[in-house]
Amino acid sequence: MIPLDIVAVVRKRSQGGEEELQKLQHEVGQLAENTALALKKNVYKNYSQFIETAKEISSLQGEMYQLSHMLTDQKSIMNAMIEMSITGHNGEGPEETDEGVGPGEDDTQKHLAFLLEKVEGCSGVTEVPGRHLVHDGDLLEIESESFTTVQKLHAFLLNDSLMLTTWLPHRRGPVKYRLQCLYELDSLAVVNARDMGGVKNAFKILMFPDTRMFQAETPKAKGQWLDILEETKKKKAALDTQRKEAAAAAVADRKSAVSNADVEPPTERSRNSILESELLHADWLQEAPEDLDVAIAQRDFEGAVDLVERGNEHLDGCPKGQAVREYRARIELRIKQLTEVLKQELQVSPERSIRGGPRCARRAVTQLIRLGKSSQACDLFLKNRTAIIRYNIRQLKIEGNTSLYVKRLCLVFFDNLLETGKEFMKAFPQHFGCFSGFVVWTKSEMLYFVTTFASQVFANKTNFTIVAECVAEARTHCNKVSEIGLEMTFTFDRLMASDVERLIQEAGDFQMEAVKHRCSEDQWRPVNHLNHMLQVKFEDEMKDIGLTTIGDFTYGVCFTWLTQNSVQFTKSYVSLCVDMLKMYNPNQHHLVTAAFSEIISAQLRHADRSISSHKFPDQETVILKNAEFLVQCLAPLVQSKYQAVTGQPCSALDHLQATLKKIRRAASTASQC
Amino acid sequence: MSKGKTQAPTVIHKVIMVGSGGVGKSALTLQFMYDEFVEDYEPTKADSYRKKVVLDGEEVQIDILDTAGQEDYAAIRDNYFRSGEGFLCVFSITEQDSFQATNDFREQILRVKSDENIPFLLVGNKMDLEEKRQVSIEDATARAQQWNVPYVETSAKTRANVDKVFFDLMRSIRVKKQATPSSGGGKKQSNTGGGKDKRKKKKCIIL
Ligand SMILES: Nc1nc2c(ncn2[C@@H]2O[C@H](COP(=O)(O)OP(=O)(O)O)[C@@H](O)[C@H]2O)c(=O)[nH]1
Ligand SMILES: [Mg+2]
Repeated sequence: MIPLDIVAVVRKRSQGGEEELQKLQHEVGQLAENTALALKKNVYKNYSQFIETAKEISSLQGEMYQLSHMLTDQKSIMNAMIEMSITGHNGEGPEETDEGVGPGEDDTQKHLAFLLEKVEGCSGVTEVPGRHLVHDGDLLEIESESFTTVQKLHAFLLNDSLMLTTWLPHRRGPVKYRLQCLYELDSLAVVNARDMGGVKNAFKILMFPDTRMFQAETPKAKGQWLDILEETKKKKAALDTQRKEAAAAAVADRKSAVSNADVEPPTERSRNSILESELLHADWLQEAPEDLDVAIAQRDFEGAVDLVERGNEHLDGCPKGQAVREYRARIELRIKQLTEVLKQELQVSPERSIRGGPRCARRAVTQLIRLGKSSQACDLFLKNRTAIIRYNIRQLKIEGNTSLYVKRLCLVFFDNLLETGKEFMKAFPQHFGCFSGFVVWTKSEMLYFVTTFASQVFANKTNFTIVAECVAEARTHCNKVSEIGLEMTFTFDRLMASDVERLIQEAGDFQMEAVKHRCSEDQWRPVNHLNHMLQVKFEDEMKDIGLTTIGDFTYGVCFTWLTQNSVQFTKSYVSLCVDMLKMYNPNQHHLVTAAFSEIISAQLRHADRSISSHKFPDQETVILKNAEFLVQCLAPLVQSKYQAVTGQPCSALDHLQATLKKIRRAASTASQC
Repeated sequence: MSKGKTQAPTVIHKVIMVGSGGVGKSALTLQFMYDEFVEDYEPTKADSYRKKVVLDGEEVQIDILDTAGQEDYAAIRDNYFRSGEGFLCVFSITEQDSFQATNDFREQILRVKSDENIPFLLVGNKMDLEEKRQVSIEDATARAQQWNVPYVETSAKTRANVDKVFFDLMRSIRVKKQATPSSGGGKKQSNTGGGKDKRKKKKCIIL
C-alpha cells in the first residue's frame, strides 16, 4: 500500500468523530491480536522449520563474522602491499619525478615483503621506506685468522645495507633464515681476499670491531658479490651527495629569497624543503628518537606512545619531503621496537607467570591499539588468553570422577571465556574488525573445549546418565555466556551432534536388548510384595518417578497387577527418557521420539503376543492390566516429561492406544472361548 | 706437524698499505708477495693477502691489506684503518701531491688508532725514477722525523728495499705487541681507544 492511501483512509475515517475513531482503534487492536495469534500458530505449525531457520541464521551469522574477519585480514595485507609499493617508489630518491612512474619501473622494484616470509625477525629491516633488495646468496663464514668454518649464512644486499641471516636449524614453513645482523653500507669496508693461502673465493668485511670473512661457492659468485657491493655503495654515495647538494641549494635559495624577497618567489620545491627543515628543527622533535629509546627502556609505554602520537601529528602537517621521510624512518624504527616490547608483554612464555589474568594484558593492548596495531594486539591478546585457558584446563586433575571433572572443566572454560569476552569489550571498544576476530577465536576455543570434553566423557564407557548430566551441564554454561552476546549453544550442539546421536542410538539399542531378554523369560506373574509396608514402599517409589496413578494397579494388602518385568522396564525406561531429555536439542527430535516409541512398543508388543498366542490362558487379566499400565500410565508420564522439556507434544506415542485396543479385543475374544 | 691447517696458530701481523692512487702500493705488495713487478694493476679494489714469512727466525704470517681508491665514506675508510696493526704510508718521489697527501693519511690513522706510536713507515716509492724526482730526501726525512717514524725509499720495479719496509714494519708491530700483551691471535682490536668507537658499534643491530 502506498503511504498516500493511508493518509487518505485516515482522513476519511477520522471525519466520523470520536466514536468512529474508537471503533477504528478497536478494529486495529483486534487485527494486531489476530496477527500475533496467527504468527504464534504458524510458529508452532512450522516448528521444526522455525528451529531449522534459527539454526541457519545462527550459523550464517557465524560465517558472516568469519568472512568479515577474513576480509579485514585481506584488507590489511592489501594495505601493506600498497604501502610498500608507494614507499618503494618514493624512496628511490631525486632521480625519480614525483608523478611519473614510468612503465616497467614496477618490474625493477624489488620489494621486501617476501623477505618477511623468508627471514625470521626482519620486519624492522623491511619496514624502512625505500629499501629494496639488490642481491642475495649463500655464503660460508670462516674465521678470519684460522680459516675454520664458522657457519652457513645467507646474505641479502639491500640498497643501503647488508643483511646477514643464519639458517634456521629446524625450518618451519617458508621461513628459512633468522636475522643475524644488519650492516649499513655507509660504513661497510669490503676487502677482497686475493690470496689467502688455501682459502678460495673469499672476501672480508670490516665493521669495527668485527672482521668477518666469507666464502662464496664459485669465483664468479664472489666476483659478483664484490662488484655489486661496490656498485651499490657507489650508488648510495652518489644519492647521498645529491641530497646534500639539494639541501645546500635549498638553504642558498632561501638566503637569496630573503635578500631580494619581491624579486623572485622561491620555487614550490625549495619552499617545501625550507619548511621541512624548519619544521623538523623543533628541539623536542630532534630529541624524540632518543626520548623514545629512554621511554621504551624505562617501560614507560604510555609516555612513549604519547610521544609517537605527538610526533606523528606534527609530521602530518609537514610536506612529505626527503628529510621528513628520513625522520619518519627513525621514528618508525622506534615504533617497531616499542611494538616488539609491547608484544612481548602479551607473549606467553614459560618464565612469565601465566596467572596474570587479562587485566595485565590490557595495558599493553591499549598502547598497541594507539599505535594502530589493533589487529596484532587482538591476535596476541587472544593467543594469550588461549594459553591461559589451556594452562588452567591442564591444571585440572582428572580424579576418575567424570561428572566432577566436567563440572570443573565447564567452570574453568566458561569463566575464562566470559572474562575474556568482558575484557575484550573493554580493551577493544569500537573495533569491530577485532570483534569478529574474537568470535572466530571463541569458535576455535569451543572446539578445544569440546575435544577435551569428549575425550573425557565419550572415550571411556561412561554411564549414559553421567554423559547426559555432563552434556546438560555444558549446555547450561553455553547458555550463560549469552549474557555477553555469545551464541555458544548452537556451536556446542553442532560439535557434539555426532557423539550425542551415537550415544542416544546406543542407549536405545541397549534397552531394546534388555526388553527382549526380559520378555523371553516372562511368565506374567504379578509381583507379590509380601507385606503392606513393602507395598507402600513400592507405591512411593513409583510415585517418585511420576507415576501418580500407581494405586490403580495395586490391590489387597500386598498385591500389584504389575509383573517384575514391567516394574524393571518402567524404571529403566523412565530413567532413559529423562537422560535423553537432559541432553535434548531440537535436532534430535526425531531420534529421541523414535527411541521413546520403539522401546515402549516392543514392551507392549510382548503383551500383545502373549495374548494372541494363548500361551498364558490364566494370565490374561494380568497381561491386560500390564498393557494398560504401559499405555495409560507410563506413556502419558513420558509424554508430559517430553512436553515439559521441549514444549511440544510427543505424538510419537499416540499409536500405543491402538495397540491397546487390539490387545483388549484379543483378550475378550480369548475369554469368550 | 710442520704443515697443514692443524698446526698451532702462528702470529699474524696486519699491515695496511695507504697512500694516494698510483704511487705503487699494489706494485710493492705484489713484488713482496710474488717477486714480480706488475706494470698495470687494477686500481679499484681493496685486496688482502696472507703469507708465511720467517721474521728473525720465527715463523709468522703477514696479512697485507692493499687499500685502493678514494672511499666515499670516512666511516668505511676508518673501518679499514682500524683493522691494521701497522701502516706503510706510501708516496711516489715523482709526485709532489702524493707526498702532501701523506699528511692526511697520517692524520686519519692517528684519529682512528689514537696512538702516536702506532707502527708506521713513511715510504718513498719509485726510487728507480731518480730523474723524475720531485720530493727531496731531505723533505721526506724531515717529515718522518717530525712524526717520529722511519723513512725508507723503495722501488717496486727493482725490488730495492721492498722486503726491508715490510720486515721493518713487522718488527715494529712485534715490539708493540710484546709491550701490550693483548695479542693472542684474537681477531679483535683491543688496544685502541674504545671511546671513539661507541657510535660505530651501534650500527650493527643484532636483533
Ligand atoms: N718505475 C716504477 N714504476 C712503478 C713503481 N711502483 C709502481 N709503479 C707503476 O706505477 C703505476 C701505479 O702503480 P700501482 O701499484 O697500481 O699504484 P697504487 O695505485 O698505489 O696501487 C703502475 O703503472 C706501476 O707499474 C716503481 O717503483 N717504479
Ligand atoms: Mg693499487
